[in-house]
Amino acid sequence: MARVVVRNLTKKFGNVTAVNRLTLDVRDGEFVVLLGPSGCGKTTTLRCIAGLEAPDEGEIYIGDKLVNELPPKDRNIAMVFQSYALYPHMKVYDNIAFPLKMRKYPKSEIDRRVREVARLLKIEELLDRKPKQLSGGQQQRVALGRALVREPDVFLMDEPLSNLDAKLRVYMRAELKRLQRELKVTTIYVTHDQVEAMTMADRIAVMNNGVLQQYAEASEIYSRPSTVFVAGFIGSPPMNFIECTLVEEQGEAYLDAGAFRYKLSEEQAKLVREKASSSELLLGVRPEHITLHLKPVEEGIKGRVYVVEPLGAELIVNVKIGESILKVKTPVHGELKVDQEVWVSFNRDRVYIFDKRTEESII
Amino acid sequence: MSRKRVLIHVVAWSIALIWIIPYLGVFIASVRPYSEIVDGWWNLHPFTLTLDSYSAVWNHKTYPLKRAFVNSILIAIPATIIPILVASLAAYSFARFSFPVKDMLFLTIVALMSLPQQVVIIPVFFLMSDMGLINTRLGLILLHSSFGLPWIILFLRNFFMTLPVEVEEAARIDGASDFQVYFRIVMPMSLPALASIAALQFNWVWNDFFFALILLLSPDKYVVTQTIPMFIGRYLISWDKVAAASILDMSVPLVVFALLQKWYVKGVVGGVIKG
Amino acid sequence: MRRHRTPLLFLAPALAMLLLFVIYPFVYTVCGSFLKWKGRSIVGVAGVSNYQRVLGSSDILNVRRLLKLKGPPLGALVHNLLWILIQVPLSTALGLLLAVLLRDVKGGVVIKSVIFLGMVIPMVVGGILLRFIYDAHAGVVNAVIRLIGLGKYAKTWTAHPDTALYSLIVGSVWIWTGFSMVLYSAGLESIPKEIFEAARIDGASGFRIFWHITVPMLRPITIVVLTMSVLWALKVFDIVFVATRGGPGGASSVLALEMYFRAFYHMPPDYGAAMAIVTILTLMTLGFAVYVFRLVVK
Ligand SMILES: Nc1ncnc2c1ncn2[C@@H]1O[C@H](COP(=O)(O)OP(=O)(O)OP(=O)(O)O)[C@@H](O)[C@H]1O
Ligand SMILES: [Mg+2]
Repeated sequence: MARVVVRNLTKKFGNVTAVNRLTLDVRDGEFVVLLGPSGCGKTTTLRCIAGLEAPDEGEIYIGDKLVNELPPKDRNIAMVFQSYALYPHMKVYDNIAFPLKMRKYPKSEIDRRVREVARLLKIEELLDRKPKQLSGGQQQRVALGRALVREPDVFLMDEPLSNLDAKLRVYMRAELKRLQRELKVTTIYVTHDQVEAMTMADRIAVMNNGVLQQYAEASEIYSRPSTVFVAGFIGSPPMNFIECTLVEEQGEAYLDAGAFRYKLSEEQAKLVREKASSSELLLGVRPEHITLHLKPVEEGIKGRVYVVEPLGAELIVNVKIGESILKVKTPVHGELKVDQEVWVSFNRDRVYIFDKRTEESII
Repeated sequence: MSRKRVLIHVVAWSIALIWIIPYLGVFIASVRPYSEIVDGWWNLHPFTLTLDSYSAVWNHKTYPLKRAFVNSILIAIPATIIPILVASLAAYSFARFSFPVKDMLFLTIVALMSLPQQVVIIPVFFLMSDMGLINTRLGLILLHSSFGLPWIILFLRNFFMTLPVEVEEAARIDGASDFQVYFRIVMPMSLPALASIAALQFNWVWNDFFFALILLLSPDKYVVTQTIPMFIGRYLISWDKVAAASILDMSVPLVVFALLQKWYVKGVVGGVIKG
Repeated sequence: MRRHRTPLLFLAPALAMLLLFVIYPFVYTVCGSFLKWKGRSIVGVAGVSNYQRVLGSSDILNVRRLLKLKGPPLGALVHNLLWILIQVPLSTALGLLLAVLLRDVKGGVVIKSVIFLGMVIPMVVGGILLRFIYDAHAGVVNAVIRLIGLGKYAKTWTAHPDTALYSLIVGSVWIWTGFSMVLYSAGLESIPKEIFEAARIDGASGFRIFWHITVPMLRPITIVVLTMSVLWALKVFDIVFVATRGGPGGASSVLALEMYFRAFYHMPPDYGAAMAIVTILTLMTLGFAVYVFRLVVK
């Protein structure tokens, strides 16, 4: 068990900068998820930590030891690959035993540990099979077993659940989390699935284009996104963004979106004046923080129903306001028709304002 | 069947006949006495079945095929195993590592495939004389092993590139050294490709005539291909014996081909076409 | 780090063997072709005189007969070129036709295997087979000739100057067709069936499909087949050695054989000439290989 510190990590492939000055501090026993869209450098980061890729710049510490020059086998890490990377010619038993064999453990010790891990993962009856004869979920457990058996300092997992079907994925998610709690092994887990990240992580590191966007607990990432990217990436359906400009009239501050004006509170106006680099702003509201009204209300913005997407107990209503579309999440309304006039109002405490130019959060 | 399809079948099988008849001819010639075949093995009266020719060439006074078989096998087996081991290491290096001048080196090695045997043989003859390897199996084994390297390197490098890298990376994380990754993970995963190569290289060495002709000088060292022309007399050819010797000679590569047909064709094709 | 040492370790044995038994001898031969030899000893620089001697010899290039447009012997160099000109197109085209034809013939797989045997058996045996079928009495070719009433033409085809070379070349088509057929078969399998189906729906006839779809899509394979066939036709040795020894009177000789005679058969050996011959041969194989490679890379 150990903490992992990544400082100013940069990795380039030709002229692609896969990871750009990334700094990350993972506490001992913590479960950290690297989250981000495809190609944002998650795998590359993980591979640098594993020693499969040599960083161009920056330092990596595992348990306070600088490991930049250490080969993977000397870093005492275990990695679970997206493709599982099981040894196809070895039985499950030998797959799990392989890391111990390489470290010249005595036979009896190997046997004891392999069986223990197999019991833990409920794959005891599979030990004599070859990987080809296993289902995806079983292969996944074997890969996990191979990682667990060594009792490593750090677990690295690269989308280990993405090849499983939806149901199994949810189940394994819980299992993995439980295992990690039990073993208290520092874990760095890569995924592009935000639900997986939200449910499993102690802390989430959101990446985009090789740059770390925000590193915080799940609730914080959701409620206080630090950039437009994070705000838009987390949450489903994603946050609504409305381009607007700051206007001041008679001592009051408004956000002018063309089709409507949103009046800022005293406090909000003060923050905006302080932080904004120009009057170009983005107003962000999550669909779940918008209320839909069938009759005019105070501070309500008028629009028309554009599309209705039923989600079972809830609806996503696309409301057309001027030229832009707002997604609104709302409990089922019986009588919504396309083109019907509706009014929406924002939950004032849950309105975000971003600087359009820097994409940084203001409120 | 439509008339067109009947026609296609007739044409196809007629062509097949052209290819089969020579083999059939030597086979029939090999199991009948000389007197019956000297004017054509297709004359079936009289027809005497005999294996005399086989025993004659197998136990020949000066050029017994029995001994030649032993020689051929003692050369072909090591000359199959050695280049596979050596070439596969190099191929792995080309497939997985990056190092300076890699592409240049690889292209050079591939270009070596087009060299004719004759272009190396005089200096090799000198070299082997100086090393005392003329007329030894070791000399021929070394030469065949070296000459087989380029195509095996090319073939295996292409094959290794299709293997999933993650499996090797997993092994490295699990604590395996480069050699361990290679021998415990890559080699076992490559068995099909190795089977293709083994079949082709074995046959190539077994079938070789030229290198043996130059390097093996005394009849007790002769390999099978070298022995066959010895049964062709200057004026009179004993077709029965030549046929029997030919059948014996080609039986070995034919058996290899039959056993490993799938891999054999893959080998021929695989070096050339991807997938 | 480790990364620098391992590739070298892995490469070292192969490089050592290639250097000692392939590259060094190759360079030695090329250099040696410009030197003056006396037995095994180098006695001076020959410049291009070995080449002059070789190319001036009627064994290699029989200018007199060539100018008179006579048949073989025309010299080994010309024979090799004739070999390429005749065998390569024939076996390539035949292989393609067979690959297409045998695709939907019952027992096609068996026929293919039989045709492919030419690639499996030793070339020495290939030579024996050719000598055997062309034999005046025991050969099946003459039996067929007699059968169709042309008995007066029956002879040992490989024993006569005008026919020896050509009968070997035709025989080599028989041996080598299996290679192109197998490659083309594999190539045909790799063309998605939908393409043919789409063409048929578009109303293309069988021949047009063959000419406008199959042939162009098999182009990469054609390049490979042509390359390998040309290289093989340049390197041909065993068949000739066994079937005719280049005879009669050099009428079926080839470069590899001439090189063998000069270095290892005639006494005393003429290494200078032998090296010059094989350098010419290698120049052709290597040059051709590089040319094709450039073509493919472009
Ligand atoms: N070996 C490589 N050579 C060249 N470019 C690479 C290499 N590996 C990754 N890249 C590039 O680096 C960037 C980051 O890749 P990376 O695999 O880390 O993304 P990722 O976040 O894991 O994406 P995904 O979710 O699709 O797995 C991408 O633009 C990718 O194309
Ligand atoms: Mg990835």
